[in-house]
Amino acid sequence: MSATTAAGTGGAVPAARPAAPVAVTGLGLVTAAGIGTEATWDGVCAGVSAAARNPALDGLPVDISCTVPGLDPARHVGRRSVLMHDRFTQLAIVAAREAVADAGLDPRRWDGARVGVVVGCGLGGVSTWEEQHRRMLEGGPGKVSALLVPMLVPNMAAGNLAIDLGATGPNFVTATACSSGATAIGTAAQLLREDACDIVVAGGAEAGISPLMVTGFAQMGALSRRLDEPAAASRPFDAGRDGFVIGEGSGILVLEREADARARGARVRSLLAGYGASADAHHLTAPEPEGRAVLAAVRAALRQADAAPGDIGHVNAHGTSTRLNDAVEAATLRRALGDGAAVTSAKGVLGHTLGAAGAIEAALTVLAVERSLVPPTANLVQLDPDVELDVVAGSPRKASIDAALSTSFGFGGQNAALVFTAA
Amino acid sequence: MSPVYDKLVDLLVDRFAVDRGTIGPDVTFEELEMDSLFLVELLLVIESEFQVKIGEEAAAPTDTIATVVKVITDEIAATAP
Repeated sequence: MSATTAAGTGGAVPAARPAAPVAVTGLGLVTAAGIGTEATWDGVCAGVSAAARNPALDGLPVDISCTVPGLDPARHVGRRSVLMHDRFTQLAIVAAREAVADAGLDPRRWDGARVGVVVGCGLGGVSTWEEQHRRMLEGGPGKVSALLVPMLVPNMAAGNLAIDLGATGPNFVTATACSSGATAIGTAAQLLREDACDIVVAGGAEAGISPLMVTGFAQMGALSRRLDEPAAASRPFDAGRDGFVIGEGSGILVLEREADARARGARVRSLLAGYGASADAHHLTAPEPEGRAVLAAVRAALRQADAAPGDIGHVNAHGTSTRLNDAVEAATLRRALGDGAAVTSAKGVLGHTLGAAGAIEAALTVLAVERSLVPPTANLVQLDPDVELDVVAGSPRKASIDAALSTSFGFGGQNAALVFTAA
Repeated sequence: MSPVYDKLVDLLVDRFAVDRGTIGPDVTFEELEMDSLFLVELLLVIESEFQVKIGEEAAAPTDTIATVVKVITDEIAATAP
């Protein structure tokens, strides 16, 4: 990359150059709407929230969540999975296998040295941590499992995918809180462009619905308290929103250089054309009120995609359903793009899956572009009057989309923006 | 073989997802795909289920099921009132 001068940009926006597109050839999703890409897409398009009371959270200040239904580790992952994988790893493995199969790739036949794995994860194996800590407090150190560390460290999502897929290329986890999944996908594209590998299995995975984590988010005031009607609690951009609902899941994309994908006759589902990243440098958790860094990330992604603001026909917003996030995001998107894009947030249905969210939503953005359909934002009954955007509500909207944007913001002020274009 | 053996087999099947048909007295833990991490875990389970103290050095992946049965049996005998 050449050094860029700040002149003419006010020093605020890195002058990213248009970059060679990267093909998305496979998708895998595991969410509260179901196991599998189609189950998730159907659930998101139906616009019915998956949030429900969670008995595992009984007695806590917040006891609702968007939990992945029916995951059976022995059946979906392997007979010993329950012994050696925390749930975030199990979710990643299930989504990755789906994505690789969807890409028409066979891990027994590929050159594993040219396959990278980049997975976003905000927390790691927090349920394992809490369970083993309880065992130590109750029974002493002799009760602590030898598998504690290999189950809880966040890099195990990527490490286990390497084992499962025989992928020996670059392998790591990105941790940028709630933008981790998007950071992983953007970073994966960079690996492909610098020829570090030919295929990257990239996305995010998170299983943070543990008593301690939920309590921590509740203490921050980040979670919705609409506990009597869980299905109405997550309501991005709605005037009555009061916080997010914690979710879990995994989204995995298979990425290849477009030329390689076309050469092997792969089905190119969409092109990852742009990625921008930035930091607020403002506050531990609150977004910078002017959205300057978010704007910079969006503009960098557009520039890399060689797209004008008016080219963006659809935005899959971060849209957490917190008062502050949605307000700042809406104002920033309006400033960056105008009001011509059909905006949605999947978090109304899926809750906030933290480190997985950016990847799950990237996959949904790919599907929206591919299928010319924008899913609705669940529970958007009365648009916040301060949100001057065209937010899709009620039912999916048909729309021919040339280019779409997916935004992700993490605590710590870490922002990521991805631009996908039609294949 | 013995009640201790039978109980150990049940633990391997129920807690460690080992296929019952692959277990025999002369089979090693390695052959059951029980590496050192799983073995430490098994020894914890044994201590709790048999109410014995055997320590994490009591067995290695190359040991057989019968070896561990003997360790447990000896320990039970040594601590019997």
